[in-house]
Amino acid sequence: MAQERTPQPKIVQFEGLGPGFWPVTIFLFAVSVALALYWCFGNIDWLMPGWEHPLTDRTADIDDLVKFMSVFASAIMVFVTGYVVYFVIAFRARPGQSADTIGVPVHDSPKLEFWWTILPSALLAVLSAWSIVVWYKIYFGTSAPALTAEVVAHQFYFEVRYPGLKTGVATNSEPMHLPVGVPIRLLVTSADVIHQFWVPEIRLKTAGVPGLVQNLNFTADHTGTYDITCTEFCGAGHSVMQGKIVFDQVPAFNTWLNDKKKSEAAAAAPINLASGDKAAGQALFAQKCSACHNNPPTPFDQKLVGPGLLHITDDPAHPNLVTGKPPTPQNIAWILQNGFTGSIGTMPNRQANGLSDTDIANLVAYLTSLK
Amino acid sequence: MHTEHTEHEEIHADHGHIHPAPQGFIRKYVFSLDHKVIGFQYFFTGLFIMLIAGSFAELIRIQLTSPAGAIMSHTQYNEMFTMHGTAMVWMVLIPLVTGAIGNFVMPLQIGARDVAFPWLNMISFWIFPIAALTLFSSMLFGGPHAGWTEYPPVSLEDGTAGALWCLAIFIIGISSTMTGMNFMVTIQKMRAPGMTWTRMPLFCWATFATALMNMFATVALSVATGCLFLEHVFNVPWYDPTRGGSPVLFEHMFWFYSHPAVYIFIIPAFGVVSEILPVFSRKPVFGYKMIAFSSMAISLLAFTVWAHHMFPSGLAPWLQLPFMLLTYAIGVPTGIKIFSWIATLWGGRIYLTTPMLYAVGFLITFTFGGLTGVYLACVPFDLHEHGTYFVVGHFHYVVAGGAVMGFLGSIPFWYPKATGRLMNETLGKIGFWLFFIGLNGTFGPMHWLGLEGMPRRYASYEVFAKAFPDAVFWNRFESAFSFLMVASIALLIFNLLWSLKNGVVAGLNPWGARTLEWTISSPPPYYNFKNIPHVFDGPYDYSKPLPYENLDNEQPEFPEFGRVVMPIPLQTAGAGAH
Repeated sequence: MAQERTPQPKIVQFEGLGPGFWPVTIFLFAVSVALALYWCFGNIDWLMPGWEHPLTDRTADIDDLVKFMSVFASAIMVFVTGYVVYFVIAFRARPGQSADTIGVPVHDSPKLEFWWTILPSALLAVLSAWSIVVWYKIYFGTSAPALTAEVVAHQFYFEVRYPGLKTGVATNSEPMHLPVGVPIRLLVTSADVIHQFWVPEIRLKTAGVPGLVQNLNFTADHTGTYDITCTEFCGAGHSVMQGKIVFDQVPAFNTWLNDKKKSEAAAAAPINLASGDKAAGQALFAQKCSACHNNPPTPFDQKLVGPGLLHITDDPAHPNLVTGKPPTPQNIAWILQNGFTGSIGTMPNRQANGLSDTDIANLVAYLTSLK
Repeated sequence: MHTEHTEHEEIHADHGHIHPAPQGFIRKYVFSLDHKVIGFQYFFTGLFIMLIAGSFAELIRIQLTSPAGAIMSHTQYNEMFTMHGTAMVWMVLIPLVTGAIGNFVMPLQIGARDVAFPWLNMISFWIFPIAALTLFSSMLFGGPHAGWTEYPPVSLEDGTAGALWCLAIFIIGISSTMTGMNFMVTIQKMRAPGMTWTRMPLFCWATFATALMNMFATVALSVATGCLFLEHVFNVPWYDPTRGGSPVLFEHMFWFYSHPAVYIFIIPAFGVVSEILPVFSRKPVFGYKMIAFSSMAISLLAFTVWAHHMFPSGLAPWLQLPFMLLTYAIGVPTGIKIFSWIATLWGGRIYLTTPMLYAVGFLITFTFGGLTGVYLACVPFDLHEHGTYFVVGHFHYVVAGGAVMGFLGSIPFWYPKATGRLMNETLGKIGFWLFFIGLNGTFGPMHWLGLEGMPRRYASYEVFAKAFPDAVFWNRFESAFSFLMVASIALLIFNLLWSLKNGVVAGLNPWGARTLEWTISSPPPYYNFKNIPHVFDGPYDYSKPLPYENLDNEQPEFPEFGRVVMPIPLQTAGAGAH
């Protein structure tokens, strides 16, 4: 029985580490080196958009990290694929071998296992150190911002608020602007669900989480127009939640911001309501307002999108306007000028509705005449 | 020899008698207590749901052939990817790799007559179709729309459908927890005498590591979905920030489970590969202990990395660091596994059968998925690529290229044990190449599209296609290749049915394998082992005789396959010794 238990197994025969092991290894090494050279010196703009002319100071940092990871990732991929394919071919069962031949009965190799534990660990340690440096730059490496703008994500657009500007810039209808060459801080939050603010060429993104303000810090290097994208699923309109961002030289940016301020001031300036024409106002109401307000006007509670406006000046149940102010002609005009956002919904401002001073005067004349 | 036998019979007396055979159709096939039948039940249910969830995936791919969206409204598309992800993760992958393969194989490999708690096992299974029906019934109420992660507040818009989604996940969580507990006890208490931890087959190590995660991680998911359910139905503001809730809290609890969940389906695939490679290389698995312990290391580390899914989502910057470094650390045990498997191939006598093709293909695709995982673990890179198709590509390389490849390899490998017949090799090999090419063609270009700026979960991508016109071609390319995977699965199902009648008769041990399940007849009797075997060595050394005594079959045969496909005679598995 003892003899029965220890049959002499027939073991596959080959020279060294296998037929052609070293040529294959040298070939795989050469491919890895070629790829490494490509990652270090090649043009990777097709993988990392804007790589050639990094848009921000973070773009280059992150791209360098990508290159470092890619050098070793591609080498590992080349060796794993190469050895798997080579071993499967070189050590295939051959018809000539007797049927009970087995492979080399090797169980382990402490030396080999030591190295393939230590080397990846060392590599990951270097990667960790490098990642921490870049991470530190991203969050703590920017000097005091010259411009702080607030990004409020909505379903389904980004609203950007600038210092000195009362109304935000809605990026679904016009691009947001930022200056180049100065440190920028974007404070990102959300008005409803979780969104993400991402411009691929900036390389950074952060989520707009309702109730939480997070920031993005960077300095842009050159001018240009780029896409803003939401990358956190946010509802039915997620796929169309995009915007544009324009990087300007500082003077151009200041001009743009001052223009915005001027038009905002003009929009809010008091309007002479005395010359309002009721009939013209009625025609305009049918044209501009009836998409959201019932026409002919109905009582407050009969809503279309916005409330019915029939008793706007004399509704005992709603003595005040939605702004909480008494229904004077000036206060009605204010809503037409500035729009309104509240629990009842959102009405666009005069720019969005395309209302001139005369139009507003006519509409106020019409609305105050309703009984 | 005979004295030895009596001695062992005495030793095994405490393993109890063999129960009487179940009588009647209901007891045998419906409410069965037999782990093998329960395994089949999981298998067929999971495979059926895979067809549904897979057809959702194809609808997604068809939609993306046009930048404006080819066939669906945005809302319908959102429902499709939500249902695809949810069903695939909870109703297909986890039940298939733990419920089906784990249930069928693990007790056989440790030489047990059943799992520790057969009743619990039956209940675990029957919870699963209830959860599946609950999930799919949500589609009658408009369907959930917020992706398989169902982040609030946006998922709160789903209403009844969202509540049903929570309920389904909560219910399937109960099943997972119970299965995890059952397997943990089974592996700890019911191994055949002499089977020490280091003599246990690697698939059982993998199942043990998985059971650990199933048991301890699922609780967090149940709390997360339970609270979300309360918010849907009773308006309790757990997550609504306008009323003091925290949406980030949900993300934390969800990922505390869902990161281990990814390992719950990849680690059994590791186990399958660790079984297949030595058998078809005809040599011991390289670095047995390192593979076994790295499974455990991965499952423990899995509990410490969840927030790497949330780098841009409201995590304090300093908190990103430990999660980044711990995620990097997972690369080490994973690398050890990959290198050990490749070393297993070295110096072997390799038969490229269908299971072996899947195992070898797994090494390549899983390595790719693992490497892109290191990229995403890097905070600066993740801030760039979070929420893009790069993530979709990475995830599918790990899941389809890892878990599903392992699962598909396990089917032809254990099919002869389950049915007594081999699956058709030619069909199997065609199926492998269809799947392998389809997988790389579908998910490979996604990485590139993501780097170029294509966000995930977009029903239309007109703006992106304007910035990057090639996107249309590459999306169509992906869609075309995805149908190769469909063809592969269709071929698999045909092969499963065809081989039942026409497959080559397998005998006990068609592959000349050395784990315990191959020492009993195919299909195994309901009691598995008439005599509980005694184990005196590890299972993988082909230069030695079989390390078991007291086997049911004194002369395990290797007949038919030996003649037809793989000429391995009896002696190489060492079975001639007795």
